[in-house]
Amino acid sequence: MSAQGDPPYVIIVGGGKVGYHLARHLIERDYEVTLVEKDPVRAEWIEHQLGTVSVMVGDGDEMAFLATTGIERASVVIGATGDDEDNLVVCQLAKVKFNVPRTIARVNNPHNVAVFKALGVDAPVSATELLMGLIEAEMGSELVRGVAVKASGTCLVDLALPAVSGFVGKSIAEISLPKGGIIVCIVRAGRPVVPTPETVVEPGDELVVFSKLTDVAAVGEAVARG
Amino acid sequence: MKVIIVGCGRVGARLARQLDAEGHQVTVVDQLVSAFNRLGRDFGGNMIVGNCIDEAVLRRAGIEKADCFVSVTNGDNRNLMAAQIAQVFFKVPRVITRLYDPIRQSVYREMGLETFCPTSLGAELVRDYFLTGVNHGHEPADVDPSTAKVS
Repeated sequence: MSAQGDPPYVIIVGGGKVGYHLARHLIERDYEVTLVEKDPVRAEWIEHQLGTVSVMVGDGDEMAFLATTGIERASVVIGATGDDEDNLVVCQLAKVKFNVPRTIARVNNPHNVAVFKALGVDAPVSATELLMGLIEAEMGSELVRGVAVKASGTCLVDLALPAVSGFVGKSIAEISLPKGGIIVCIVRAGRPVVPTPETVVEPGDELVVFSKLTDVAAVGEAVARG
Repeated sequence: MKVIIVGCGRVGARLARQLDAEGHQVTVVDQLVSAFNRLGRDFGGNMIVGNCIDEAVLRRAGIEKADCFVSVTNGDNRNLMAAQIAQVFFKVPRVITRLYDPIRQSVYREMGLETFCPTSLGAELVRDYFLTGVNHGHEPADVDPSTAKVS
């Protein structure tokens, strides 16, 4: 682990679109980054683009190679290749053999998120799943207005009540949204109202709901149906 | 017993035929339909086309009721992931995986996975032959008693 005050050391395995942009983003935020890429041509290109980053050419899932990256002092290892099996093995090796405190894996097949969790990866991230949630929310209901995405896979959505809604006249405590969606704010006549359990929903209210990104569509539907 | 074999290469196909002929219930998973040609016409087991590291595909192959699972695709990491899904996620009683890389083998063995490594097996076999003159690589059926003592 890095000493206090030192920038956190992050190893990214896989220099495709995700790995490259991630490295760039982290360098801008003063992280110390090593990017591991199999293809020497791609590695050279990345090095040319990013300048300061250290790019190593090698197999991110070879133990001997990983040992040369200074992995034992890394605070985070990220498997960012396009192959789920490679990302899994990188994270497992980092965790089990090099005691890296936090492992993050890009999960290409959304079916595999639960599998990655069960197999010890700290944070499996499925871009496909996030994207599907967003797109579904956009398609499912025209009432969904703004979606703020956070890295945690959660979001805030602004849901306008339909003209006729069963929610009107009910208190916050009486409304239960599917999958644990939480009403964190009510926009009433353009002004935010912080709701208490006793706050009663009025016609024309907009509900700002906090929910998992993948459940946005279900929450949006529930509000639309009232 | 119910057996799932992922990877219908030489090893996978041979094992599948053998177990099928012995009366076991065999399901083979491979991404390529053409790989199933290796099973021959008389193979009586199931063939599933799909990605072996996809939980849904493994369910389709009947993993929830399987007694044994072996991963013998040509990628170590793919084998590791499939075997771990079988062992940790679906709790298949007997899971074994092939790994070409001896280092990875020792790591995952420590983590509780049954593995075999053709690389170290092969190297040992040749070394034994050089040192002792005995070739353990011949199957018993291939050995003709009349010519066994060449040296």
